[in-house]
Amino acid sequence: MENFIEFRNVTKRFDDFVALDHVSLSIPRGSFVTLLGPSGCGKTTLLRQLAGFAEPEEGDILIEGRRMNGLPPYKRNTPLVFQEYALFPHMTVYENISYGLKLQKAPKEEMDRRVAEMLEMFNLTGLEKRFPKQLSGGQQQRVAFARALIMGQKILLLDEPLSNLDAKLRVEVRTELRQLQQRLQITAIYVTHDQDEALSMSDIIAVMRKGRIEQLGTPWDIYFRPVSRFVADFVGTVNFLPCVVEKKEGKSLTVRYHQQKLTFDTEVDLRPGERCTVVVRPECMTVRPEHAGEGQLVGEIQNYSFLGRYIRYWIRCNDQTLIVDDSNPGLTGAISGRVRLSLDLPKLHVLKDVGNAPD
Amino acid sequence: MAGGTTLRESLKEMKRLKNEPLLLMVIVLIILLVGYFTIWPVIKVITVPQASDYAQLFAKRRWISALKNSLFMTVVSTLSCTAVAFLFAYVVSRLDVPCKGLFRFVALLPIVSPPFIVALSYILLFGIQGIITKGLLGLHVDIYGKFGLWIVQTVTFFPYAYSVILGVIQKISPNLEYAAYNMGATRWQVFRDVFWPLCRPGVAGGALIAAVNVLCDFGNPMMIGGDLALLPTEAYMQISGWYDMNTAAVLASALLVPALAIFVINRFWVGKRSYVTITGKEISLTPLKPPAWVKWGLFSLTMLVSLFVLLVYGSLALGAFTKAWGYDWSLTLNNMKYVLNKGGQIWNSIRFGLLASLGASLLAMVLAYIVQKKQVGVNRLLDFLAILPGAIPGIFLGIGFVMAFNEPPLELTGTAAIMVLALLFWNIPTCYSACTAGLQQIGASVEDAALNLGASSFVSFRDVILPLLKGPFMSGFVLSFLRSVTCLSVVIFLYAPSTIVGTISIMGLVETGQWGSAAAFTVTLIAIAFTVLKVSQVVLRRQGIRLEL
Repeated sequence: MENFIEFRNVTKRFDDFVALDHVSLSIPRGSFVTLLGPSGCGKTTLLRQLAGFAEPEEGDILIEGRRMNGLPPYKRNTPLVFQEYALFPHMTVYENISYGLKLQKAPKEEMDRRVAEMLEMFNLTGLEKRFPKQLSGGQQQRVAFARALIMGQKILLLDEPLSNLDAKLRVEVRTELRQLQQRLQITAIYVTHDQDEALSMSDIIAVMRKGRIEQLGTPWDIYFRPVSRFVADFVGTVNFLPCVVEKKEGKSLTVRYHQQKLTFDTEVDLRPGERCTVVVRPECMTVRPEHAGEGQLVGEIQNYSFLGRYIRYWIRCNDQTLIVDDSNPGLTGAISGRVRLSLDLPKLHVLKDVGNAPD
Repeated sequence: MAGGTTLRESLKEMKRLKNEPLLLMVIVLIILLVGYFTIWPVIKVITVPQASDYAQLFAKRRWISALKNSLFMTVVSTLSCTAVAFLFAYVVSRLDVPCKGLFRFVALLPIVSPPFIVALSYILLFGIQGIITKGLLGLHVDIYGKFGLWIVQTVTFFPYAYSVILGVIQKISPNLEYAAYNMGATRWQVFRDVFWPLCRPGVAGGALIAAVNVLCDFGNPMMIGGDLALLPTEAYMQISGWYDMNTAAVLASALLVPALAIFVINRFWVGKRSYVTITGKEISLTPLKPPAWVKWGLFSLTMLVSLFVLLVYGSLALGAFTKAWGYDWSLTLNNMKYVLNKGGQIWNSIRFGLLASLGASLLAMVLAYIVQKKQVGVNRLLDFLAILPGAIPGIFLGIGFVMAFNEPPLELTGTAAIMVLALLFWNIPTCYSACTAGLQQIGASVEDAALNLGASSFVSFRDVILPLLKGPFMSGFVLSFLRSVTCLSVVIFLYAPSTIVGTISIMGLVETGQWGSAAAFTVTLIAIAFTVLKVSQVVLRRQGIRLEL
């Protein structure tokens, strides 16, 4: 796939604060790329540079190989769906959606036809004469999408567009949005701090931190092969097991976690005796009562929380508390007391401790 | 090096303006205009007098007492204004009592009236020929001086403090009071520990607004001050009686110092201490109810003040139709006929008012837009220029215009243009703050959305900002018009026989004791002001716009 959008060494400072620190990112045509990170990490700043609302101090921004630097927002053709929708409060739904076409002086019939298409696509038919404040949050959001897509551009920027919706609607829209993007073959850049959104919709996720891209990868990579404690911790819930390397033979790594040896495959380069951190997700451990006999680790249940589709346990094990999810809760309630934990070894991941200290 | 980086940022932002020549041109034009018509007159007034002129201020006993009296009146009148204002604001916003509409009306009346009207009615009520003093009680008292002025200024200026305090109280969520109540506080403790501390910035802000108005008040002292020396009136005497510009300039400068101080305190100290954030979220919860005796006690006090205000305006209306106040109480239309004969002056008031407020609101809107929505490196300078006229006493601005524009390059003495320009720049802060508030209500991304869809800066301003600013623009326009029509201090030095406006006539009539004609003139001006206010409210409401004053 060719690169549709490219950021090359983009740097942006606000006074002494470095918002973007030499960010480079290539986005293939037709892909759904998510910029994921905590607030202040630079994700929205990066998106706004692309839309032209701010100019980088250094570096280039290219769309289809064309340098965008210095071009005002209205000449960039980079439709953006804003977090708070930014619908024009004094215009009707029809006027909002057709505004871009009106600026291009499109003939009335064409405008009517394309607005009708959009209304149909977004299930808004019949609401065209309403004003934004007469619409529900979900409807407003769909108007915002329609307004951004009506020009038929092959690019769509989204700045946390789902954050103002209630939880259930958010999950529904997620799926619809992804289907729409694939059907229209749009290149989408999506900004969010919500890991579920990022994982569920993206082809590629760029996890950002302090103005830099910390990791770029598929949702699988990001979730199971995080490159740092930060990424591991930010995306999903995680347990960090402090370990020491026993031996490394080819891909096969054996580490010691307290008295227990764990052997699994990894690409990470480690030497015997080196300290490292094993990353294990809560669902990659199975919890059984101690007398059931299986499992590498022994611990005692401190607390639990029943969430319907799973039970989350906090288990005291050695000198730390591990979070373990039992994704198939029994009918008789949570287990208690001393337990055994078995780790799903192929899903373990290891991080070097050198240069990767905990925060 | 925060300062260094800020400067660097500013320079960077300014460089970017090269790409927006229209914006750059507008900014340069605004700076030139405001600089020439606001800064230049100020510089003139301050620099024309010699050091020896300034030395007089501390040598002559009359100037020293003028300074003292001005400060004294400011303090006592501000205290009473603030107390009455808080009473009104509290009763209107927090109590479940009847007659709230009346209270609101009473608190609006003095704002839409000429500033000296209360003094005039006070004379009609309590003066030597007063309907109460002479007519009812048969007394012969001298009401001119400090006490009379104090009463009059309290009634005249409490509404300014009221609107500020009301604004703050209305944004305090009753939830906070319920929270304290819920934790075991008594109603009095809730008031003392929660409500009052939250009000305090608003009360301070309101007090300062009242203070600056009292300090710079010219009309009331002129009419009822009697022999009391005050800075604004003394400055006026120097010019009208002795043609002594230098001394007038010195006195006006002496007035500028405290006025600026109050202004700076209000803007940079009180402004920052406010706990209330503008969220636009409406508070629908019923506030905590005080005990019945408190409620009805406060109600009675408010009613008392309201009745007094109504009495003031009633006597004025009566005066307008009375043959010879104090001597012959029979009704007549002669006073109104007199006003009709002077229709040209009323027309001047309207004409100048319309032109000035149109200019002020247009200029202020563009200014507010640039300051709020554009990063141009000089935002702070522009903001300063826009609010500066608000810190300049009217009398000072008037003297400044006389001094700055009686010589080339722009000789305007005696023209209608000088009247309009003075009123225009005097009104810029009024319109500017209305537009600024309006712009802050418009989410930052709404305009971005227009740019994003392909609208240029100009087109997005036209399609998005302008329609959304209609309300604030009209509010600023109407308020400026009311201020212009009722303004005396700014224009008193600038008029020529052909450009006399209503307020100047009224002052002349009062000085010569023609109460009936003065009252008729005033009633006419108020009628015009109220008509304009009501008509624009109705017209705007049809378009779904609420006029905020």
